[in-house]
Amino acid sequence: MITNNPLSVRKPDDSFAIQTFDLTRIFGKLVAVDGINLDIKKGELFAFLGPNGAGKTTTISMLCCLLKPSSGTALVMGNDINKDPYKVKAAIGISPQDTTLSDHLNPIENLELFGSMHQLPPKIVKQRAKELVETMGLSDRAKDQVKKFSGGMKRRLNIAMALISDPQLVILDEPTLGLDPQSRRAVWKYIARLKKEKTILLTTHYLEEADFLADRIGIIDEGKIVAFGTPVELKTSMIDTHTIIIKAWNLTQKTIMEMKEKYEDVQITDGTMTITDKRVNFQEIVDHLHNAGTIIRSAYIKEPTLDDVFIKITGKELRE
Amino acid sequence: MRFWSLFSRNIKETYRDAMALGFLLAFPLVFMLLFGVALGGDGKVSYSIGVVDNNQSDVSQSYISDALGAADVLSVKVYSNTDNAMEDLRLGNISSYIVIPDGFGEQVATIWQKMPGNIELNITYDESNLSASSNVISIINSITRSFAGIEIPITINTNPINIETKITQIDFIAPGIIIFGLLIMIPTAGRIMMHDKDTRFLHRMMTTPTRPWEFIVSYSLSMATIAVIQVVIFLLLGWWFGMDIVGSVWLAFAIFVLTGLCSIGIGMVVASLAKSENQGEALSWLFSMPLAIISGLWFPIEYMPSYVRTFADLFPYSHATEAARAVIIRGVGMEAISTDFLVLIIWTGGIFIIGTFLFRRKMKS
Repeated sequence: MITNNPLSVRKPDDSFAIQTFDLTRIFGKLVAVDGINLDIKKGELFAFLGPNGAGKTTTISMLCCLLKPSSGTALVMGNDINKDPYKVKAAIGISPQDTTLSDHLNPIENLELFGSMHQLPPKIVKQRAKELVETMGLSDRAKDQVKKFSGGMKRRLNIAMALISDPQLVILDEPTLGLDPQSRRAVWKYIARLKKEKTILLTTHYLEEADFLADRIGIIDEGKIVAFGTPVELKTSMIDTHTIIIKAWNLTQKTIMEMKEKYEDVQITDGTMTITDKRVNFQEIVDHLHNAGTIIRSAYIKEPTLDDVFIKITGKELRE
Repeated sequence: MRFWSLFSRNIKETYRDAMALGFLLAFPLVFMLLFGVALGGDGKVSYSIGVVDNNQSDVSQSYISDALGAADVLSVKVYSNTDNAMEDLRLGNISSYIVIPDGFGEQVATIWQKMPGNIELNITYDESNLSASSNVISIINSITRSFAGIEIPITINTNPINIETKITQIDFIAPGIIIFGLLIMIPTAGRIMMHDKDTRFLHRMMTTPTRPWEFIVSYSLSMATIAVIQVVIFLLLGWWFGMDIVGSVWLAFAIFVLTGLCSIGIGMVVASLAKSENQGEALSWLFSMPLAIISGLWFPIEYMPSYVRTFADLFPYSHATEAARAVIIRGVGMEAISTDFLVLIIWTGGIFIIGTFLFRRKMKS
């Protein structure tokens, strides 16, 4: 008899921080997470990318043992989320999507509260709380109740709370959601620094965030992992066409017709010609136009972005 | 350690929250002040009362002229029979009348001689004039009791038996206000739990290895501590406004703390059933205010229709008010209030079990 035991397919492996085995969550008729199998290596920054409602937060909730899977399971730092939830909780630090802090406590008190909930010695908690407040640039507001903080400051503290227990695995659920570009950059910089020390699972629906930070990316849509790999792998393997954009004076009708005959997709707007095909030779196109008497102002190859990858895979834009 | 941190966090969250603090302290304080000022002032209020003396003894005569007649707040009219008195009461000329029964003089004399005795007075009052009649009753009470303690040549004893030295309005209303202050802990108690649930802070805390029971115990204990602090503050306030506790202070304290615990338990149930903080608070108030009224916190419960009283008696607050008044005003001991006290204990235990069960269920959702 063939059993559907996922463990028979993939074996638990110590080198992974997270392994999911057909992880599934169903809410009524909605399959929010649909049998995900994921391996996240220790020490890497893995970005979970997907539109709102794709199943990112549901997956995270199951990995944090806040939500029981409908079926399947996951190993987090070697502990089964169904069998050893408290061991899982002890090993992780999470910064949830909603900035949730104890409003009438100051940042130090908030950090110390979480430190003691992880049962760390008070001395260490005090020391670490002080360091984190400094790192996050909140030292001058260390004695103020957090309800008076700006959105950016709360976000930074929200991340610091995930780090107070010095966890092996840090889960950052949409860490820059709703931040202005400047604050977002500051948070990225901090995450990039953190990257070397911890395994990080980051969810985001900002493509540039994933592109900038992630070692590997998993794209999730409608509860399923639809693409998986490094940013470069995703871009090169998923996008098999190349695009050249040429801005030129005096593009004649004849030249345009010649190009359209030769290449699959040629678009002209305001003296800009966009050529897309599986095989495009930059030199050949430039030479051809030059010989035809076209004066080229600029010409460049457009690199594929994760946006292109996403649209290609899911057929929809990521941003709402 | 973990539990202690949660506990102190809850206390800080409550006392640093201006809204919560307002409901906990300012609201009852304002009530107490209003009543204190309204009743403690020297406003010239005067009530007309009638007296029918069926005893016709020296003591009863002296009671009418030296005790009732000497009180500024009363203007006394003596009637020869109850029919005449009733007629004037109907016409609204008097707010109530006292019938001094036969044997009154002997009873007072017995008490003066340091022997146990009962003073019996029949008071008929105009039910439509609620506040006046309750005031008059308490004034007559006070006058009669101090009259019973007047020194007379035969005995040297000045201590009246099983009654207090001087009953004032504040003695009558203070227990009600304290119970009210504890009753409105229902919205406050659920507040922090509902807030943590609403803002998902509870969820966040649940990503740490903290066990569910640690949350429940820390919430309940921090609120119980707040209840004890409240009771101490209220007792001090009552004392400040001239409330005398004739009976045991500790018994009064125990009644109030149990009442506070009931409110916390109810708050916990509401917090578990409500879908959001706003809904929970609205529900709590909707529940608390009518309960305050029917439990006899403001007006003597005797005036209420019996079905309202029966309904009110299902809840702990009418029992708490009764028991607190008995201890504070009449100075009775545990034996006299044991039923009410038992109701409070059963309520506290029961509501905590239900609250814990429901909140645990809510935490899982």
